[in-house]
Amino acid sequence: MDSDIETRLIFIAPTSDLTPDRIARFIHNLGNPVTVKETCYGVVIEGHKADVKRTLDEVRKLDPNRIFSKERAFPMGDIRRCRAHHGSRPGFAQLEKEWKDLCLIEKGLICVEKGEDPPQVRKRGKMPVNELKILVDEVSP
Amino acid sequence: MKIFIMPPNSLILSDLVERFGHEPLTLMRALRERVTSNEIEAPPLNVTVDDVKLGLKYAGIEIPSGIRGRMAIYGPLIDQAQAAIFIQDAPYSFGCVGCQRTNELAKLLVRKKKVPILTLDYPANEDEAKYMVVQVKKFLEGLK
Repeated sequence: MDSDIETRLIFIAPTSDLTPDRIARFIHNLGNPVTVKETCYGVVIEGHKADVKRTLDEVRKLDPNRIFSKERAFPMGDIRRCRAHHGSRPGFAQLEKEWKDLCLIEKGLICVEKGEDPPQVRKRGKMPVNELKILVDEVSP
Repeated sequence: MKIFIMPPNSLILSDLVERFGHEPLTLMRALRERVTSNEIEAPPLNVTVDDVKLGLKYAGIEIPSGIRGRMAIYGPLIDQAQAAIFIQDAPYSFGCVGCQRTNELAKLLVRKKKVPILTLDYPANEDEAKYMVVQVKKFLEGLK
């Protein structure tokens, strides 16, 4: 396969009003020479790197803080991954977790956009043994 | 600059790094070459003889083959890294990059390179997310 070809996943954050269908139609209307496939989380696009980048830049403008993207290793419709061919999706657990977190990342991006100072967060630590003991006693006295 | 990210296939990190004007060194790009070559039938489950030899540069012969195979892919990315961002505290069942020993070894190799590193946790609430994104932006803007 041509090394200039890139496949990209475009994700819509759960809080966005956009739908995969709307983004797919929008990309078709752009007229760029890229292939588009609608998915449950957004769309997959494939084409020459410059065309993919141009398309992604346009799509991002629809909802800059709620549209995310990453490259994909496997080409679109690859029979080793495509569900239409009963392919496996070993990375889906991670995609799902990160997709759920996108609504949090959106808040972070808004914070950066406004130039606000982020709130100080407490470093997560381990639960003290005494507190764990109290919990254990509650469950099994 | 080229930024190594951990997890190396993270959607959040690769998006943020690109958004703030740098190039993420991702697993997807490294696997793309293998996936589209005719040598391997089912990557990343299969490796070539060359991969096994390459893995030895990063992990000794006594290291389990799964780690060595993964390091054959992560290693060249680490060699190119000019900075790194790690996100920790991922869920227990995190898919195909859930090999903690490989992740520890990869992080060790990055630390040995003495490049700037930012370590964060996956955000659990809005405040943590704001803190994380601002830290990533500051870190990336501070790189020269």
